[in-house]
Amino acid sequence: MNTQGENGVGAASLGEADATLRLIAEVPAPVGLEDRVKGSLHRMPAGRGGRLLDWPGGSRRSWWLESAWARGAAAAAIVAVVAGGSWQVYSRVQPKQAHVLIPHVGTASGFASANAVRTPKTLDAPTVTTVATASSGSKKREDTKKRTMRHEPAERVRPPVR
Amino acid sequence: MSASQSVFAGWVEIAPSVFEDEARQHVEEEALEALVDQYASTLYRVAFSILRNSSDAEDAVQETFLRVLRHRDTLGEVRDHRVWLIRIVWNIVLDRKRRAKTRPETDDVAELARVLPARGLSAEQRASAAQHHAQVLACVDQLPAKEREVMVLSAFEELTSVEIASVLDITESSVRSRLFRARNLMAELLHHERSLR
Repeated sequence: MNTQGENGVGAASLGEADATLRLIAEVPAPVGLEDRVKGSLHRMPAGRGGRLLDWPGGSRRSWWLESAWARGAAAAAIVAVVAGGSWQVYSRVQPKQAHVLIPHVGTASGFASANAVRTPKTLDAPTVTTVATASSGSKKREDTKKRTMRHEPAERVRPPVR
Repeated sequence: MSASQSVFAGWVEIAPSVFEDEARQHVEEEALEALVDQYASTLYRVAFSILRNSSDAEDAVQETFLRVLRHRDTLGEVRDHRVWLIRIVWNIVLDRKRRAKTRPETDDVAELARVLPARGLSAEQRASAAQHHAQVLACVDQLPAKEREVMVLSAFEELTSVEIASVLDITESSVRSRLFRARNLMAELLHHERSLR
């Protein structure tokens, strides 16, 4: 908390500060300020809001710049010229068909592949199932098999007659 | 109507807005010149209170009116031209101050000695007074920006707290509270400055 003396010093200082700020706020403007400002306003080129481009060589406005239909026609002409030019360029430069290039696979040793093309095995080979048909040959084989399983003696072969 | 206009007017419909525009331009130019006559001095003082350089302040005033010229279509919608113009010049000088932050203090002292009214003071007294004012302004510069702005604008007797609030785009109560803080801080700064001497 400030003492009364400190408050007095502070108030005096504030009074000085206020006096300085007021002095600054009351600085007289230089003589001829208004004329110089007006001069700069008159010198400003095309300071008419910037709605239209200033035509070189003439400060007077042309009637056709103000006419709505004339400006519309001019805009349409510009659009037509730009669109026509774009179409002309587009029609001349047609996109070419893309070539499919087979990449040349070189070997590390420097030998060429002699145009040999490796076909990767991408599919499994088809498997064919054979259906067994009942025939006489197969019946005979089956009898032999049964006999072997029963341990039957084999057919005796007669010795040759002397 | 000129000769060429009269010729074309026979077969082409000329918009009457052409001639109305010219008349309106003339009126707007006269209104703008009236604003210059009325407020250029006030704007100069506002600019000088921040920039503290007469040529910079004059440039700021010119830039203000050039901006008004560019947006003169909105001139009719402005209710209080004085506050509106002060707000424009205020933004311009703050922008300039931000861009040119470093300027030796000796320039301020010399400029103050040249610009401030002498009132019969000798050259030595004038230099001493300028030195004192420069020290006070250095303390003002040490204040936070928000408080400093309110304190500087409050020195203008023609600006009420409502108008200051309008210029700074804050509420009137904010102006009062900021001014209160600014004055307390200023008293401390000046007290500290004196104790150092």
